[in-house]
Amino acid sequence: MPDVVVNGTRLFYQQSGEGPDVVLIHAVTSNQAVWVFTGLPDAIAAEGFRVTTYDLRGHGASDRPPTGYTSAQMADDFRALHAELGLKPAFVVGHSFGGVIGIHTALLHPECVEGVILSDSFFPGLRHVEPNFGRSNVWVDLQATFNEVGVDLGETVNFTRLFQASATLTPEQTKALETLVGPIGRGWLRQLPLLAQTTCGDEVLAEAGLTAEKIASVTRPVIALYDEFSPFLATCRWLEQHMPNCTAEIIPEAKHLAVVENTVAFTASVIGHLKRLAAPTGLPLTV
Amino acid sequence: MSRTTEQLYADLATVMATAFPDRDISVTVGPETRVFADLGMASIELIVLGERLEQFYGGKLPYGPFLAGLRKQGAEDLELGKLVEFLQSHVK
Repeated sequence: MPDVVVNGTRLFYQQSGEGPDVVLIHAVTSNQAVWVFTGLPDAIAAEGFRVTTYDLRGHGASDRPPTGYTSAQMADDFRALHAELGLKPAFVVGHSFGGVIGIHTALLHPECVEGVILSDSFFPGLRHVEPNFGRSNVWVDLQATFNEVGVDLGETVNFTRLFQASATLTPEQTKALETLVGPIGRGWLRQLPLLAQTTCGDEVLAEAGLTAEKIASVTRPVIALYDEFSPFLATCRWLEQHMPNCTAEIIPEAKHLAVVENTVAFTASVIGHLKRLAAPTGLPLTV
Repeated sequence: MSRTTEQLYADLATVMATAFPDRDISVTVGPETRVFADLGMASIELIVLGERLEQFYGGKLPYGPFLAGLRKQGAEDLELGKLVEFLQSHVK
């Protein structure tokens, strides 16, 4: 199994293609399967890139240490994975918190990052500009699902509460939730109680040094892909206005997970931006 | 010479038993066995399974396009019969 041990934690990764490096980073509570099932890694590899996907610490098939879940610590995981795998400066495509890790890595370890493509990321350091954080449609949907089995997740996004609530479900509640989320969602549901044994819930929502000022200081090219019905469009506008090298684009008919909700448009956009970003660097595409 | 269907099911049972030792799958493996609904696998375990199958057969398989193709067809689960068909096409 392709594993790499970074900062004492074993991370599960996959790699395909040849060419300039692209690393795909998933969101909190997700894993790299989200990319594979949409065909994005193969589509990017077919355009002449080497694509690496990996499971963040605590997620998917990677180890689940009790601590180390801030974007700064995960950026250091990225740096170590980048070194262990011998990658060249990479284009990072990050969904939600994966994008926060990408930007934090560009700030702390710029030698590892050629550019960042964000997919609907919320930045804890930009909470003050984001009026919709507490009313995120994804959270509202999740809250409604848990409400159906008598569990109140609260009005505001709170991963720790989600993990702890999942860890204390009765067998009947678990069964009812599994029916509600369907066969594919069951695997997602099963991992939540495990994250209750970690500091992940609180740490992923910590600013961790990635302040608004620091975000605005990142000079690597950033593509801000935000979804048409995203709760974080204020963040998108802020990034476009304050980052020195940021291009924003709206992905239609998606609300937070464009790679799944509008795979065709998201894939076309990501590939178009990657080819444009790779061209001026002179990085040879191996099609 | 290609491997027979029976051999491929046996291979699959061996690989799955090694990859997921917590699951008793040997008695349930059949063409209509669904990986999510019947075996209780998670999506990431399907990715791990693909990687383990590549190790077992000693070569790269177009497993990502296979999974993406199933999703495109609107499949919400994967029957082992489909997986064996895929292996039949790509494993010598």
